[in-house]
Amino acid sequence: MTDPAMTDVAVLLSVGRHPVSGRARRAATDAQALEMALALRPRRLTAIHAGPAADGEALRAYLGMGLERLTLLVLPEGADPVDALIAHLHRHAPSLVLTGRQAEDGEGSGMLPYLIARGLDAAVVPDVVRIGPADAPDSAGLVQALPRGQRRALTVTGRLVATVHPSAPPARPSAFGPARRGVVEPVTAQAAADPFLSDCEHRPWRPKPKLMRVKRGGSALDRLKAATESKSGKGQLLVNPSAEAGALAIYDSLVEQGMLP
Amino acid sequence: MSQPSATRRRVDPRAERAARTVLAGPRPRLLRQPAAAISNERRRDPRAIREAALVQRQPRPRYDWTRDAASAGSSAAMGVFVAAAPAIPLQVIAEPAYLVLALLDRPGGEVSDHDRQVIAAARLLADSGSDGGGGAVVTVSTGSGEALAEAGSDRHVALPDGWADDYVPERRAAAASALMAALSPRHVLFPDSADGGDVARRVAAAAGERLFTGVQSLAPDRATRQSAGGSLETGHRPTRLMTVAADAFAPLDGVRHEARPLDLAAPAIAGEEVLPRLGGARRLAVDPDALSLSETDFILSAGNGVTDWRSFAELGEALGATRAGSRVVCDAGHLPRERQVGASGTVVGARCYLAFGIAGAPQHLQGITGVHHVIAVNTDLHAEMIKRADLSIVADAQAVMPALIRLIRERRHD
Repeated sequence: MTDPAMTDVAVLLSVGRHPVSGRARRAATDAQALEMALALRPRRLTAIHAGPAADGEALRAYLGMGLERLTLLVLPEGADPVDALIAHLHRHAPSLVLTGRQAEDGEGSGMLPYLIARGLDAAVVPDVVRIGPADAPDSAGLVQALPRGQRRALTVTGRLVATVHPSAPPARPSAFGPARRGVVEPVTAQAAADPFLSDCEHRPWRPKPKLMRVKRGGSALDRLKAATESKSGKGQLLVNPSAEAGALAIYDSLVEQGMLP
Repeated sequence: MSQPSATRRRVDPRAERAARTVLAGPRPRLLRQPAAAISNERRRDPRAIREAALVQRQPRPRYDWTRDAASAGSSAAMGVFVAAAPAIPLQVIAEPAYLVLALLDRPGGEVSDHDRQVIAAARLLADSGSDGGGGAVVTVSTGSGEALAEAGSDRHVALPDGWADDYVPERRAAAASALMAALSPRHVLFPDSADGGDVARRVAAAAGERLFTGVQSLAPDRATRQSAGGSLETGHRPTRLMTVAADAFAPLDGVRHEARPLDLAAPAIAGEEVLPRLGGARRLAVDPDALSLSETDFILSAGNGVTDWRSFAELGEALGATRAGSRVVCDAGHLPRERQVGASGTVVGARCYLAFGIAGAPQHLQGITGVHHVIAVNTDLHAEMIKRADLSIVADAQAVMPALIRLIRERRHD
């Protein structure tokens, strides 16, 4: 890789949580972020996790993807990892930081990439599916996933924090041998407790009923129709037009809807 | 009697006697006059109802049973339909006690459902705050505020029109921060969508405040969200910055607010001085047939009335639409099973649905309930699809498809 923007990459990895069993595992989008980082073949790749020392075993799944070592910033349970991560990243000063979009366990607010970008004075781009070099020096070309399967390309100058979208290339499977051989390096770090989270009350999530749009008023038959049937269009009706006239009407309608240029 | 009453007074002799009783005992004394008419309102008068539903007597009687009992009556008897649109009273909050900001996406200039839900959540905080409410909802978006009045917006701040289509999250966040400084709102709500959630997190990081993301329920003293991968419900007092999860709140219905432009001392536009780090944003072309049906925005659908599959494929390519079909078509093997629209296939939420030769079985119509704009081409004038569609063309699909392909190619070469 010749591009200087992507020679020094840091990946922030978290411990995921299986949605059904609740077991600790590698987090899906974090693993995809690591896959993206490995595919870039950077000169230096730093993988960092901040959390309690007990997370070490779950992190071995990342080592099984081909990492040799992984830094574990040891924090007490329930501490805010942002300051410790910023302090650690300041020492390494990577040009690109990759991470998942949202943690699978804990608060999971998706704020961490933004706070880290703020701390490092870097640009932040969410939902990235592809990273490559751009034409301009010291910039990267990104492809971002949008809702409805759309994609957007953009270029970013300077240091960059990117979060990875689930539709990015899938993560390679974790192999057992490398996972055993890899090294988790514990580093002691300073972190303050999070007063906001201890102020929150937690209870098990109970699924809520889906909201239905209920039409008020009218007869019972009207309400039943509104709830079960699709809306009836009060649209234009062309009866037996010539094929050209019909095609023109469709074309104009599509242009009006913005579906055709 | 000018008006046939839908209910007839039901006589309850025991109740009438009890009402007339002045002195109970071994020799009861009764009033001569009946005390008050006691009637059972629930008694139906089928003749009156039938009379009210009568639309036309000659040449043969026609009844319209779908109208509700309240609106039926005089107009039916005269045979003239009077559209009675009840005016929704305008709600004005002249002196708001506090402000609740709602920063909307308005993708492509349209007010999305999610935007309406955010306004509904903001309305909830404005009308019933911890000190009794009386707040006003200030919407911030591109475009004018007129479309937001019926969604429940009291004041509106317009962002530059150029931002509607461009990707300028840094500028949007800077504008939001400037507005927060200028108006000092009690709460600021964002939609938890791809773009809205991005801007919200930028604003929260810049302000150094806690963002309560993906709010699922809201009360004056408590907001909840999902945490720990959806396994926990976390509750807290409503914080200043919050994002609202999709489909957690019902959009408001039957309200009308002012949505008048908010007069600011300084123009709301900030962020011009921000040196953007992100640039050169452009949409990439995506192969429409690689998208899943639930994701795509534009669907070209075929039914039993389509026999010319070559034209259908060419048309899909010319339009750039995702191809789909009804159950019959997928059963016959003309399209793969994952391309089936309907109750047993995919329920689609596309913005535009172009249907050729589809009659509109109830199961198929269920599948396109969420579609914004439907265009139907069918030979049967009385097909359900023709009734559903926003543009219906009664013609043969095999004739219209090649004509449409020719038209698209002509216009493209111009």
